[in-house]
Amino acid sequence: MGSTDERVVAVIMVGGPTKGTRFRPLSLNVPKPLFPLAGQPMVHHPISACRRIPNLAQIYLIGFYEEREFALYVSSISNELRVPVRYLREEKPRGSAGGLYSFRDYILEDNPSHIFLLNCDVCCSFPLPEMLDAHKIYGGMGTVLVIKVSAESAHQFGELVADPITKELLHYTEKPETFVSELINCGVYVFTPAIFAAIQDVFMQRRGKAELRRVTSFEALQSATKSIPADYVRLDQDILSPLAGKKELYTYETLDFWEQIKTPGMSLKCSALYLHQFRYTSPHLLASGNNTKRAAITGDVYIHPSAKVHPTAKIGPNVSISANARIGAGARLISCIILDDVEILENAVVIHAIVGWKSSVGKWSRVQGGGDYNAKLGVTILGESVAVEDEVVVINSIVLPNKTLNGSVQEEIIL
Amino acid sequence: MKALILVGGFGTRLRPLTLSVPKPLVDFANKPMILHQIEALKDVGVTEVVLAINYQPEVMLNFLKEFETKLGIKITCSQETEPLGTAGPLALARDQLIDGSGDPFFVLNSDVISEYPFEELIQFHKSHGGEGTIMVTKVDEPSKYGVVVMEEETGKVERFVEKPKMFVGNKINAGIYLLNPSVLDRIQLRPTSIEKEVFPQIAADQRLFAMVLPGFWMDIGQPRDYITGLRLYLTSLRKKSPSKLSTGSHIVGNVLVHESAVIGEGCLLGPDVAIGPGCVVECGVRLSRCTVMRGVRIKKHACISNSIIGWHSTVGQWARVENMTILGEDVHVCDEIYSNGGVVLPHKEIKSSILKPEIVM
Repeated sequence: MGSTDERVVAVIMVGGPTKGTRFRPLSLNVPKPLFPLAGQPMVHHPISACRRIPNLAQIYLIGFYEEREFALYVSSISNELRVPVRYLREEKPRGSAGGLYSFRDYILEDNPSHIFLLNCDVCCSFPLPEMLDAHKIYGGMGTVLVIKVSAESAHQFGELVADPITKELLHYTEKPETFVSELINCGVYVFTPAIFAAIQDVFMQRRGKAELRRVTSFEALQSATKSIPADYVRLDQDILSPLAGKKELYTYETLDFWEQIKTPGMSLKCSALYLHQFRYTSPHLLASGNNTKRAAITGDVYIHPSAKVHPTAKIGPNVSISANARIGAGARLISCIILDDVEILENAVVIHAIVGWKSSVGKWSRVQGGGDYNAKLGVTILGESVAVEDEVVVINSIVLPNKTLNGSVQEEIIL
Repeated sequence: MKALILVGGFGTRLRPLTLSVPKPLVDFANKPMILHQIEALKDVGVTEVVLAINYQPEVMLNFLKEFETKLGIKITCSQETEPLGTAGPLALARDQLIDGSGDPFFVLNSDVISEYPFEELIQFHKSHGGEGTIMVTKVDEPSKYGVVVMEEETGKVERFVEKPKMFVGNKINAGIYLLNPSVLDRIQLRPTSIEKEVFPQIAADQRLFAMVLPGFWMDIGQPRDYITGLRLYLTSLRKKSPSKLSTGSHIVGNVLVHESAVIGEGCLLGPDVAIGPGCVVECGVRLSRCTVMRGVRIKKHACISNSIIGWHSTVGQWARVENMTILGEDVHVCDEIYSNGGVVLPHKEIKSSILKPEIVM
């Protein structure tokens, strides 16, 4: 039974505008954390997961975006989910641990016994209550969510070695060149308040060390050897790595899906993963094709209540349609995200694509991507207010906002 | 007198520069594009300029406040809520353009640079007594444009021919007009083309005249033409105010350097270079046929040609940047990098060479 001593605070890192250019062109119009996956803003998914934690007192979103970009969202989600959500703006880059530390007064206000730290751009099932239970049993300072990946892809992430019995974190290394382990860091952590003391130790150590290292001008320009300011503390390299093997950190393995949402292509893949998850967690959100007066639905599909879909259209699998979109007669949508106020005209076909806000896709036109979520041009992306004229074919291309395509394009970026 | 400048839309052809500012505010020869026109209008006695826009009015209005006071000319906006074509905006701004004086008003296309011979235009307009005067410019390939067919001696416009297949003339519409207020009675508030609907009407009434634009003319709405336009502009500046151009053993041809820019030793600059406010060009740098915008740092021994370097960017030591490379705002090209036609969106770092023309998002 939860006592008042067991309050939990969750902190979700949402990042910032200029650092992440990989989410362009979508990030030209909307902060990445607010881009919709399966019909809900990206950050909504970890927030909903946090709600399942017993005795959740507060959720903080921390990032570099201006306050006004999150003001509306934060107040509406607080109301909707009946949990206090607050956005805190980081003043300057201090690293993931440094950022957390800079807001310790807010985080410790509710005197939490445990603090969750999540990355917003992680797509997974967020087994937070289970992770918390495991953490309490381990009795350490922190527990890291981990997942097994293929040996070939592990090097892109933080690789961890864990004791198979005790689950203790024995070794941690970030993006290693040689193979260390198939277990990788999912970017979801739970800590006791002792984490702040650990971060503070890093500051102390840094200040104690004399920083008299001379670098050549060549070295100075290489970002890897750039001297790091004393208050820039990275969670992975500066906290997890040194504390590994000291009976302070443990791991909790998830067997569900896990992806990072770094590019628009990946947002399409993750939207599909969340749509699939809705079958189990929120089946009422998925559209069903049982009603013959409605359009044919196949697979997992989300349709916003205000969107209008013609009965002769066929939608799915893996389609998400946002508010006020209009899907015309005979249209076919497969594996795509249709954003607000989009108009898909009669008999158009959209496959492996993201169609931006207020865009229009003409009659018999075809907007298609190859479907390779990781390739630069694997998913076709139409920015805000793009007009694809009738019968035009757009394949494996990215079109920036406010353009009109009156001729077919393939493998192109259109500025 | 009044003037209307057709600013229009999103300036997508000048991306990535127009991802940072609206097109009229993109610098050309160290000054926002639209300022060249506003200054020329002020010089000829225009007291109010109306900007017909449909995009980012807040940014434009902020900029305008600064220049209203500096220049002593009234600047207002007329915002289209739906696209009105090339003539509709005139109807929209009707109340701002007619002041009861009966004076004609100017209409300019914002992408056009030229010597703006507005005084001569006014004189010619008065002398023929017609309803409107359009400036035309001679081009080599008229069939790419709309050709204006006119009587050589009087300048009276006979007709317009859009992209003619056979040669009918070599003068095209230069996007500079002087119109009597009565022209506004011919334009309805709906999407309308001034060339296809309004001018032919006036020409049919024998009341439209054309004047050949003396000096250079360029539509700088896209990067290639922007660079050519700078060459033409600096050539004209050499004739009119040569003291504004730089001199010295490190200068070749026409080079415009803002007084607050710093140039290092051993550089060779030019021809056809513009270096903006606050720029730092370190030692041993070679610049030709390029524009370097406000706050840019070009590091030692770099070599840049036929390119546009956007505000606050940096180009690293020994970097070579050429062939229509366009760097957006705050782009940092690392040392020793080669960019052959890279088009780079704002806030990027270029750590590996771009061997063939490519867009970097």
